Amino acid sequence: MATLTRRRLFGLAAAGAGGLSVAAVAPTGAASAADAGSGADFVSGDLNLHLLRRATFGPTPSLKSAVKKQGRSQWLNNQLSPASIDDSSCERLIRDRFPRVNWSIPQARDELEPFSWNLMNDLSIATIARATWSKRQLFEVMCEFWSNHLNVTNPSDRVWDNRQDYDRRVIRKHALGRFEDMLIGSATHPAMLLYLNNADSTKENPNENYGRELLELHTVSVDGGYSEQDMRNSTLIMTGFGVNWRKGTFNYFGRDHYRGPVSVMGFSHPNPNADGYSMGIKYLKYLANHPSTAHHIAEKLCERFVSDQPDPALVDRLATTYLARGTAIAPVLRQLFNSAEFAGSVGEKTRRPLEDLVATLRVLDVRPDREGRQGMQALVWISDSLGQQPLAWSPPDGYPDVALSWQSAGGTLARWNTHLSLAAHWWPKELRKSPSRDLLPRRLPKTHGAMVDALAKRLVFRTLAPPHKQAILSFLGRSASDPLDSDSEAVRGRLDSVVALILDSPYHWVR
Amino acid sequence: MTTDTEECGCPDYAMSRRAFLGRLGTVGALAGLTSAGLSTQMAFAAEPYSGDVLVVLSLRGGFDGLNSIVPTGDPRYAEVRPSIRIPQGALVPLDPMFGLHPAMAPLMPWWNSGDFAAVQAVGMANQTRSHFEAMEEMERAAPGSSLRTGWLDRTLGLREIGSAFQAVQMGSSMAASAFRGPSPELAMRSVDDFDLSGAWDANERRRWSDALTGLHDGAPTAVAAPAATTLGALAGAAEMQDAEYSSDARYPTTDLGRALRDVARVIKSDVGLQVAAVDYGDWDMHADMGTVASGWLRDKLGELASSLAAFATDLGAKFGDVTVVTLTEFGRSLVENGSGGVDHGHGQAVLLLGGGVDGGKVHGTWPTLEQDALAGGDLAGTTDYRQILAEILEKRCQGSQMSSVFPDLTSDRLGVVRARG
Repeated sequence: MATLTRRRLFGLAAAGAGGLSVAAVAPTGAASAADAGSGADFVSGDLNLHLLRRATFGPTPSLKSAVKKQGRSQWLNNQLSPASIDDSSCERLIRDRFPRVNWSIPQARDELEPFSWNLMNDLSIATIARATWSKRQLFEVMCEFWSNHLNVTNPSDRVWDNRQDYDRRVIRKHALGRFEDMLIGSATHPAMLLYLNNADSTKENPNENYGRELLELHTVSVDGGYSEQDMRNSTLIMTGFGVNWRKGTFNYFGRDHYRGPVSVMGFSHPNPNADGYSMGIKYLKYLANHPSTAHHIAEKLCERFVSDQPDPALVDRLATTYLARGTAIAPVLRQLFNSAEFAGSVGEKTRRPLEDLVATLRVLDVRPDREGRQGMQALVWISDSLGQQPLAWSPPDGYPDVALSWQSAGGTLARWNTHLSLAAHWWPKELRKSPSRDLLPRRLPKTHGAMVDALAKRLVFRTLAPPHKQAILSFLGRSASDPLDSDSEAVRGRLDSVVALILDSPYHWVR
Repeated sequence: MTTDTEECGCPDYAMSRRAFLGRLGTVGALAGLTSAGLSTQMAFAAEPYSGDVLVVLSLRGGFDGLNSIVPTGDPRYAEVRPSIRIPQGALVPLDPMFGLHPAMAPLMPWWNSGDFAAVQAVGMANQTRSHFEAMEEMERAAPGSSLRTGWLDRTLGLREIGSAFQAVQMGSSMAASAFRGPSPELAMRSVDDFDLSGAWDANERRRWSDALTGLHDGAPTAVAAPAATTLGALAGAAEMQDAEYSSDARYPTTDLGRALRDVARVIKSDVGLQVAAVDYGDWDMHADMGTVASGWLRDKLGELASSLAAFATDLGAKFGDVTVVTLTEFGRSLVENGSGGVDHGHGQAVLLLGGGVDGGKVHGTWPTLEQDALAGGDLAGTTDYRQILAEILEKRCQGSQMSSVFPDLTSDRLGVVRARG
């Protein structure tokens, strides 16, 4: 099976004789699809590691020992109760370097120039910092998940003063709580109401942007079974949910609220007067608890944690739990990670660019700037160059979560070059990192082959299969049995490159 | 290793996009695509592409068409822009209504030869004055639909998959949202910059690409495919780098000049470029836009015109197979503000350059600047910008099925380009 793939890749990679020979390369990967290997061939089948690849932003040697010591079930329980995990060093980092992300909306308006992007930039950096250095890894993964599910693009024009508050009081507050609470939180937050124009929506001039996305993206989904009439009613129900323009905070405006009977997918209300706030909240609860919403969220969680093509039976079971537990998320996640489908999904997911970046930082044990934030700021720029700056997807549907959406050559090259830049500590220099030599055992392996094995175990938690090990040895111009000592090029000039190559490979790309 | 001719003889070589997606087996899982978006992907052309190279130049920030393609014949123009207007005597006359800002004079040879044109009073359905929303909407180009892909992505989705250089965003590491969606595009800051950072010469480049190739042996398609595309693109870029590039055309030494020079370089290297996108920002002139003789607007227009003129010169014989179109998210406010600038407006001017352009003309319908002809106080749009793009795609770029690229677009066309011979 591998022969065709290999030959084709070689054919492409060799800048061939006779003109520009690279035309029509794109189908080649696909041409080998039928013969392509499985992701499971590239990652350790150990279930502890499988769990860590999915439930965190990337395994580390210490995390691997922690799970082994605690057992998967206890480790997962701890992760599902993030407050039980001491995360003081990451909390201190955020408090000291990015204090503004804890600002309220009034405080932001008092202290910032109007429409300043500074606070939104702080939030981007803090998001990468938390993903990388927080011990509450599953919590951070879920914050990322919900930030995309209830996307409010950061940075963007209308949320300069409130996006950090949305992050803190809607996403982070409810990330492992109940979806119903998060949905209500989003529907009563100026960030969402401005981003999707509900703040501009009145009985005279309804703006359907929020009313539609509330159904299509946030709850029942596009196949959830609503009509255009439902969508218009959804918009009318939510008229009045707006923003106090002077303070920048949420306000309900009875004068803008549409009156008269409304109905959406089985929810109906006579809606006789201007006080539509409590009806709106009832409507949001109804939607959060709708079976189509349960299915939609269960499916997205499966897509996040299990497979690009979720198993319908697992989706159904998770949806049932979601409804039975009053939209609580933790029980759904516990069931997901304990399922046979999850255990059987080793190698079925890939890392998106941000996950690649953060997993690389984690496994190389890159640490925050000694002081200031230059290095951490650079991580945001890097994530942008990779194509996935956190929170920055501009349409309301959030970053896509399937491998097919992340096939770009520019993004791939940026990932490869980032691995080398981080491994060699070229940039950002302000971040602290030990030399790559520290990734190898103190007592050097005796041969080049043993060195590649040791490095792979340290970086991707398994040895490489023979052809891949051979690719590294060929890169070094050595054979496996060639002796290694501290003067060997492999542990001097070429070591950072070998680290980068292992991170460039499917062993790191597969999640 | 030489290139294996077997590669080209392989029936998969010209595999359709449908087959590509079908083999990946994940069509149904394509994120963010509605059923309407998916149907775009399912349709495909039967033949390899042989139309114009389309170059989309995005003037980000809000290009002031009114002081560029100046409606000097409209009596209200001078009235509403008392201090920033371009005086009639300074303009390069185009027709009884319009004159060209003199900083754009470098483009006059192409105006006179009938290869450069403008369209005035171009608008879009969503009249938002927010940069962010306007850019999103303009590049999505599907008002009233729930499509989330960009128009260039949908355009490419109707074609055979081509080379790694089929669609290129030049000058930036991120592709514009017009490319958003499943069709691959290549974003590069520059041709010379597109390289493995560990490879310092041709031997090292080979060493790295051999290693990367070997490491992807047997990889799942989702990982092998982007790796293969990237290695192919690297090889192509390396050949362009090694061939070096010289040109007599005098590009300004600016980001725009460099990006257009690289687009010309890719076109002339015959690596299968079909669509190139270039961003040229900093048009948001709320204050101190300057006078006809100096300042912000004059500098920008000068750079724009001299870059395009150099590009047209550089292309040589290829000029006949290239169409350049500019877009901006909105035109600027009709009335000047108190800071010697103009705020966000609506109707915009589109510039067209290329061998197939029906040039030497200002196309479109001038709505006048009379109060009741305005849209929210600003120049109205009498031509949907999508009509211009659709016409270019249809006549120059083998485009069909415009309803899947631009849903609900009427069949009105202005006649801004000639059919490709």
